[in-house]
Order: sequence, then C-alpha cells, then structure tokens
Amino acid sequence: MNKALLPILARLHSLQSPAIIDPAGGRLIAAAMDPSPITAVMREINETMLGRSLTFHSDAGPNMTLEVAGRRVLRMAAAEGLARADTCLSAPALEDGQKDDLIRLLHALAIPGRTLRVVSTPISNEAEGVSVGLPVALLADLMLVELNGIEAETPEPEPEPETTEEPAADTPAPVLQAATGASLLGRFARANGQVLMAWMIAGGEEDGATYGPEEMVSHLLGFLEIEGEALSQQLDLISTVPGAPVCIALGANLAVGNGILCARASNGFLLALIDGDSTQTILRAWTAALA
Amino acid sequence: MGLVENLAAACKEFPQARVVAFADLSSSMILASQGRASVTQEHLNQLCRQARASFDDPLFSLSVEAFGEPNGAVVMDHDSVRVFLRSENDPADAICCICDHGIDLAAFVARVRKTLDQLDAGT
Repeated sequence: MNKALLPILARLHSLQSPAIIDPAGGRLIAAAMDPSPITAVMREINETMLGRSLTFHSDAGPNMTLEVAGRRVLRMAAAEGLARADTCLSAPALEDGQKDDLIRLLHALAIPGRTLRVVSTPISNEAEGVSVGLPVALLADLMLVELNGIEAETPEPEPEPETTEEPAADTPAPVLQAATGASLLGRFARANGQVLMAWMIAGGEEDGATYGPEEMVSHLLGFLEIEGEALSQQLDLISTVPGAPVCIALGANLAVGNGILCARASNGFLLALIDGDSTQTILRAWTAALA
Repeated sequence: MGLVENLAAACKEFPQARVVAFADLSSSMILASQGRASVTQEHLNQLCRQARASFDDPLFSLSVEAFGEPNGAVVMDHDSVRVFLRSENDPADAICCICDHGIDLAAFVARVRKTLDQLDAGT
C-alpha cells in the first residue's frame, strides 16, 4: 500500500467507527479489553485539528485535561490522580523539557484493562495564544504508538518469516513457525510469534535480522547504538553465569499491555517490543531455543 | 494471611518455585523468604541485587518511553527463571522468585501479583 494513503485511510476508518457515548459522560475511546489504550489517547489527540480541551477519564480514577490543536499538545490544563504532574501543569506551553514527564503521565493515565472516555470542550483563553506545544507525531514515535493503524478488514499478504522484510504497518503480524533459524536468538524471537510485535538482532549469526514496523525497529536499533555498552553491563548484573545466554522481559503488567525484551547470546543482542501477554510464550520459547 | 504465610502458600501451589522472597529494593534487603531450596543469605542478597538491576537503566528508560514504568520483570537463563514483581503503590516493595524452567509462568506471575496486591492492601 502507498504509505501516503495510510493517514487518509485511517481518518476515513475513524469517521466510519460509531461513537459510543459513556453513561458517565463523554465518548468511550478505549474499552477494558482494548490492548493499547495509550494508542486510543494519542489517536484522539491526533484527530483533533481545531483547538479543543480534551479531558481523558480513566475508570481507575486518574484524569487529565490536555489542550490540543493542529496535532500538537499545547498545554496540560489539569491532572488528577497522577503523581508528579507539576512540571507539566506549571508550564504555560509544553516544551521539549516536559516531553518525558508527559509521556510518563500519559502511560499512567492509559492503564491496560481499564476503560477510557474523553470529554471535548472549547479551548481555554490561556491556550488561545499558544502556537508551539509538542507534536503528537513526535510523542507517538517515542511511545512507539502507531497513529495511522487500521484494524485489519482487508488483510494483505504476509511476508515469509525468514526474510528481513517488515510487513505493512497496518497489517496483522504473521504467526511465525516456532524454533527455526540459525541462532538461539533468532529461534527464540520467532517462537514467540505475534507477542513480539517488532524485534531486531545485532551481532552473532543472524546479525541484521529484523521483524516488524520499520519505525519500531529503527527505534530499537537507535537505542542499541547509544546504550549498547550500558545494556551489556546491565545484563552482566542480572546474569548468574558470565557469558551464558540471558533474557529479560519488562512490563508494567507482564500479562497485558506492552513490554520490552532483551536477550544476549553468542555475542549477539536481541531487542524486542512486546504486545500482550508475554508470560504465555517467552519461557516456552526460551527453553525450546536453548535445547 | 501474614507475609510469611502468603509466600509459603505461593510456594505450595507451585512446586517448581525454588524461592519466593519479599524484598525492600531501596535497602537491598530480603525481608522474608520461603521455598524448597536451601538458599544462603549471600544468594538472597544476590537475588535482591539482580532485582534492582532489572529495573535499572538503560532498559528502565526504554520501558518508560515504550509503555511507562515497569513493575514486572522476568529473567531467564540456562537453568532457571527469575520473576521480580514490584508493588504498584510502593515500588521499593517487591517479590523476588527463582523457579525451574518447567513452571507455568503465566499462572505463577498472576499468583505472585495477587500476593503482592494483598500485601499492599494489608489483607
């Protein structure tokens, strides 16, 4: 598919989707079973072109009001139930210095397994004069959120898993065959199937092997280029046997939502992004790859 | 149910759990432990250090960018799997476990998370 069409198709798809009015007020943007409520938040902001004040309510308690316009987050007007929101609340206009805090707060708001609703009201006078703010596209890139994803109604042909081509950004990831490939890291990655929504291997027998959306893989590569040495030291600290294969998976909640995974074996690194319940696959995939 | 009873119950339900320990990550101290394995204090100290390292940079920063602060970590090596779960209310409180490869990881993580939530709630 022509990548230039993706944003247009995403907007059309969004317009087709029925609005669900929540009894508590506002429009439901993420149900409890939605795998990525943070994606719903970012897409809501991205699709709000005219200046609006968007108040996001989580049924877990936290809420946040963002004033947005033209695909930029201008300022944070209010936040309840979210720790350490002061740096964003006190900023007359959000700038690069508040970017990390904003990302942290958005993740704290969009809790997997909870519902999210949004109430849209006119923008405040304080925000009328703000023309800078933080671009949604930048935030989404850093958060690895796909703003133009479309739920697969017309799936496209999937690439062969042994190649390094990545699938089109809006198609479901292929289910890969378990435990095939030249290296432990490659066998392990493939055996996890769609749980690893993007991964890359640097070093070792399958150096350069990748899977998943290009922007995600690039982000992982960039991280490894900068933090490779520190990452190696961190893995040394968690290993029990120096030089032996080791793998770590991290998540807010390992059973739902997103996570990251890093493994090292035979001078190679595997870095991956997890989507969903990694506890169902990673241990079985690891022991199979070790065998 | 008290802390020790909670840990013991988790071990009893999962025979492949060698050690289940409650730790204060801020002071790197194991406060209580249960399990079938005889572990020395040095091993427990090492387990605590590994838990702290698991939630440290650079992977911590990558996690925050990707999805927020991590409260769960699974570390796998050649003959064991370690599970580290931090309390969402107080990330210094954590349950640290060493298990065999044959454990039902999904069920065990759910059980340990439930234990931690109960300890948070004081039940």
